Amino acid sequence: MSLDADTEALRKIPLFRGVDDQKLRLLAFMSERSRFEAGETLMKEGDYGDVAYIILSGEAQVLVNSPSGEQLVATVGKNDFVGEIALLIDVPRTATVRASTTLVALAIQKEHFFKLLTNFPDMAVEVMRALAHRLERTTREFGRLRAAVSDG
Amino acid sequence: MERTLFGFIWRYSKRQQVIILAMTVLSFPILYMSLELPKWIVNDAISGTNFPKQILGLSLDQIPYLITLCLIFLGLVVLNNVIKYALNITKGVSGERMLRRLRYMLYNSILRFRLSRFRKVSGGEIIPMITAEVEDVGVFIGEAIATPAFQGGTLLVYVIFIFAQDPFLGAAAVSLYPLQAYVIPKLQRKVIRLTRERIKNIRTISDRISETVAAAPDIYAHDTSRYHLADLSDRLFLNYRIRLDIFKRKFIIKFLNNFLNQLPPFFFYSVGGVLVIQGSMSFGALVAVLAAYKDLASPWKELLNWYQNLSFVSVKYQTVVENFDVDDALSYDKIRGLDDDGPELTDRVLALSNVSASAGGNGQEVIDVTLEAKEGAHIAVYGRDGSGRSELLMTLAGLIDPVAGRATLGGQRLEDLPFGAISRHVAYVGNDPYVFNESIRNNVVYGLKTEQKTSGADDLTDLRQTEAALTGNSLFDVTARWEDHERAGAETPEELEERLLDLFALVGLDSDLFRLGLASNMPPSTDRDNFIEGILKVRSEVMRQVAEDEKWADLVELWQEDAINNSATIGENTLFGLPADPSRKVWDCAADAPVQDALREAGVLELLVDMGAEVAGTMIELFSDTGADASLMGDFSFLSPDDMPLFEGRLREYRSKSASGLGAAEQSAFVGLAFRIVPGRHRIVAVEGETADKIIAARKVVHKHLAKREEYALLDPAKYVESLSVEDNVLFGKPRVDRRGARDKIDAFLRDTIAQLGLRGRISQAGLNFEVGVAGGRLSATQRRRIGLVRALVKRPAILIFDAIADGDPALMDRILQYMDGDDRTIIVGTTDPQIAKLMKTVAVMREGQLVATGGWDSVQQLAIDGAAELEKEAS
Repeated sequence: MSLDADTEALRKIPLFRGVDDQKLRLLAFMSERSRFEAGETLMKEGDYGDVAYIILSGEAQVLVNSPSGEQLVATVGKNDFVGEIALLIDVPRTATVRASTTLVALAIQKEHFFKLLTNFPDMAVEVMRALAHRLERTTREFGRLRAAVSDG
Repeated sequence: MERTLFGFIWRYSKRQQVIILAMTVLSFPILYMSLELPKWIVNDAISGTNFPKQILGLSLDQIPYLITLCLIFLGLVVLNNVIKYALNITKGVSGERMLRRLRYMLYNSILRFRLSRFRKVSGGEIIPMITAEVEDVGVFIGEAIATPAFQGGTLLVYVIFIFAQDPFLGAAAVSLYPLQAYVIPKLQRKVIRLTRERIKNIRTISDRISETVAAAPDIYAHDTSRYHLADLSDRLFLNYRIRLDIFKRKFIIKFLNNFLNQLPPFFFYSVGGVLVIQGSMSFGALVAVLAAYKDLASPWKELLNWYQNLSFVSVKYQTVVENFDVDDALSYDKIRGLDDDGPELTDRVLALSNVSASAGGNGQEVIDVTLEAKEGAHIAVYGRDGSGRSELLMTLAGLIDPVAGRATLGGQRLEDLPFGAISRHVAYVGNDPYVFNESIRNNVVYGLKTEQKTSGADDLTDLRQTEAALTGNSLFDVTARWEDHERAGAETPEELEERLLDLFALVGLDSDLFRLGLASNMPPSTDRDNFIEGILKVRSEVMRQVAEDEKWADLVELWQEDAINNSATIGENTLFGLPADPSRKVWDCAADAPVQDALREAGVLELLVDMGAEVAGTMIELFSDTGADASLMGDFSFLSPDDMPLFEGRLREYRSKSASGLGAAEQSAFVGLAFRIVPGRHRIVAVEGETADKIIAARKVVHKHLAKREEYALLDPAKYVESLSVEDNVLFGKPRVDRRGARDKIDAFLRDTIAQLGLRGRISQAGLNFEVGVAGGRLSATQRRRIGLVRALVKRPAILIFDAIADGDPALMDRILQYMDGDDRTIIVGTTDPQIAKLMKTVAVMREGQLVATGGWDSVQQLAIDGAAELEKEAS
C-alpha cells in the first residue's frame, strides 16, 4: 500500500501513457484507495458518476441491462480502468460494474482530475493525444465493420 | 425622570453630596496644618530658642522637640492622604452608583416603550446613549457639589481678605468677574450647541455601523461598499469640523479667562503704586493684596473648569434623557409583574368590538373590527400580508392598543391589564419570533422565566441586594432559578425536559434536534453521569456488533489499544488521544512541550521526525517540483505555498544532521507533519511491522505523561471523551477510509442502535444545548419559527395565537389542534394558506384592514379566494 505502487498502476493506463511520472504520482496522491467486497457495485448503469476506478486487485463483472435482465458483457481485472468516461463528460454510466471477488481500486475523482489538467496543460495534451488514438482506432474499426456489412 | 442633571443629582444623591462636602471641609484644616507645621519646624525648632518647650504638659529639649514636630508633620501628611483617599473613593462610589442608577432607569424606559416606537428608534442609536454618552456623568457627579462649594468658599475668603486690606483694591480685584460671568457663558452656549450636534452625529455613525453589520449581504450583493465608505467618511468629516469648532471656542474661553485674570495686577501696580507713593496705603498691604490675588487664580480656574464640565455633562444628560422620557410610555404597572394571581377574570373570552388599531404604517392597520373568540374557539384569521391580519392578532394579544373600540379579555380592557395577566392566559407567536443568542433550550423555556423562583444562592447575593437597593435597581437576582417548570405542567425539572422533547416532536423538529445532539460536543448539563453512562452503553453495543458482524467491521475501524488505526491520523494513533479543545487539531499538539517530552521518552521522536521528513520530501516533490499552483497546493498539500521554502531548508538540515541532530523547533515541525498523515488514505508512509509496534508501545508512556493534563483528552474504551462529538463517542472508532459511503451507512446503523437502546431522547436533549448564534443565525427561518412555537406551547396557554407558522404544513396544524384539545382552549391562527384555514371551525377573512367575512371555510371560501383574485387583478 504505497504511493509508488499506485503510481505504477496509473502508468499502465493508456490514457495516461504520455504523462510524466511526477504528475502521475500527484494524481495517485490525490486519488483514494477503495475496497469493495464481492457483490458490491462500483457503479450503476444510468447513474451519473464522478469517479473512475483503476482496479488494483480482484475482479469485477461489467453488466448491461437488457429486457431479459442483466447481461454480462465483460470481466475486468487488475490494471483495468472502468468508468473513465465520467472523468471527461457528464453522461450516465453505460454499464453496471459489480465486484465478483474482493476488489481494491484506486478511485479518481473527476474534480481532482480536472484540477490537475487545468494546472498542467501538457498533461491535458497527453490525455488528448491518448483519446485521439482511441478515436482513430474506433473509427478504423467502425469503417472496417461497415465495409464488412455492405460486403455481406 | 428628571429633565436636568442637577435635578437628578439632587434627587438621588443628596446625602452623598453632603458627606462629600463635609469630608472636603474636614480635610481643609488638616491641609492647612500640614502647610503651617513646616514653618514651626524651621522657626521654632531648628532656629528657635527658649528650650525646653512645653507640648501637652511635656517639656522637651530642642532635638526631641524637633523630632516630635516632625512626627506630627508625618502624621498629618499621612492623615491628609488618608482623607484624600477616602474622599476619592467616596466620590467614585457615589458617581458609579448614580451612573448605575441612570443606566438602569434608561434601560427601564426602553422596556416601557410602546411597540410602535421600536419601529422608529434603532439599537445603533440607543446603545451609545446608555453606554458611552452617560459615562462622563458618573465621573462628574462626585464633583458636582463639593468642587463649587469648596473652591467658591476659598475664593470668597480671599476676596474678603482683599476687601479687608483695601476696599478699593478689592473692588479692582473682582471688577472683571462680572464681565467674565457674562461673556464666558455666552461663548459656552455655542459650545453646548456644538456638543449637541456632535453627540447626534456620533449616534448616526453608530447607527450606520450597526446597519452595515446587518446589511452586509446586501452591501456585497449590490457592490455598494464604496458608497458606504464615502458616507461614513463624510460623517467623520462632519465630526472633525464640529470638534474643531468646539476646540476653537474652548480655547478662546481659556484665552479670555487668562487675559482677564491678568488684567487686575495692572491696576494693582498702577493704582496701588500711586496710592502707596501718596502714602494713603501701606506698602505691606499692597504686597499682601498682590499675594492674595495670586492665590485667587487657582480656585477661579477650578471653578471655571467645573463650569465647563458641568455644561458638557448636562448637555449630554439632556440629549440622552430626552430620548427616553417619552410621553406615551407604558405605565409601570404594565411590566411590574403580578403579586398574586393578577386581576380577576370572569372568563377567557377575547373580544374586539369596533376596534381600530394601527402598528404605525400604511397597510398595518385594523379598521373597525368586531370579533369574539369564545373559550374553545378555533379561529383562522385569513388574509395576505398587509391585510391587517398580523395587526389583528397583535391587537388580540394586547400588543397594539386600539385607538378606537374595545379589546377585552374576560371582560377587562387589554390595555388596562398588565402584560403578566395577559401572558398568563394568552401565548402569542409572531411570524418572525426573536431567537436569543443562547442555547435552544434557553430559548424555549424563555416564556417560563417571568418570575424569580428561588432566592439567589451565590456568595455575592447579599452585596448584590444592598447595592441594588442603594441604586434603585432591580431587586431580582438573575443568578437564581427563574424557570418555572410547574407552569409548563411539569412536577420536576426532569419532567420538563421530557415535555420539551415531546413538543419538539410535535412541531417536527425532533430529527433536527437529534442530529444536532449527535454532532454536539457537550453532554446535557442535567443528569450528565446518566447520559455518559448511556452513551458508553451504546458504545459497547456498537463494539460488540462490530466484533460479531463482519459487515460492520468492514465499515468501522475501532480504536484498539494494541493496533494501529489506519483510518485515523498518526497523531491520534501516537497519542491515542486528541486535544481537549475541539477547535485544536491533533497536529497542533506536536509543538507542545509535554507532548515532545513524552515522545522523546517513549523513543518515537526520531521515528516521527523521519516520517515527517518523508512527508515533507513527498510534498515538495509532488507540489513544489511540479510547479503546481497555489489553489492545488491549498486543497491537497499539507504544506502551504509559504511553508514550502521553510521545509525545504529544514529538509536540507535534516539530511545533513539526521533526526537527532535537529533543534526542538525543527523536530516538532516534522512531527507535526507526520501527525497529519492518515496511513490508509495518504499512502506516503506505511505504519506496519516494527514501526507500528513502536508507536503502539509509545502510547503507554505518552498516556503517563499526559494523563494529568487537561489540555489532552486520552482515548479509553471506558471513558467519555468530551472533545469528541456525541456521535464519535458512540462510535469510538473511525469510518474506514477505503470504504466509500461508510459514514452514511454508519450513521444509519448508529441511529438504529441508539433508538433500540432508548437513548434517542437523551441525545436530542444534548441537541437542546446547541447555541443558536446571533438572533438564531445558525438556524433556518423555519426552525426559528418553530422554536418560537415551542416557546408558546410549553406554557400550555388557554389561548394560543400565532401567525403564519403552520402555513404549508397542515399536518403540523393538525398536531397543534390535537395538543390544544380539551379544557376549552382557544386557538387563533393567522394564515395565508387555505389548507390551514380549512382546518379551523371559524374563518375570519381580513382585507385592507377590514374584517370582510366570518364563518366556516365553506361559507367564506368564495369571498376569501375571490378577494385574493381581485387584489391580484388590481395589482396587475
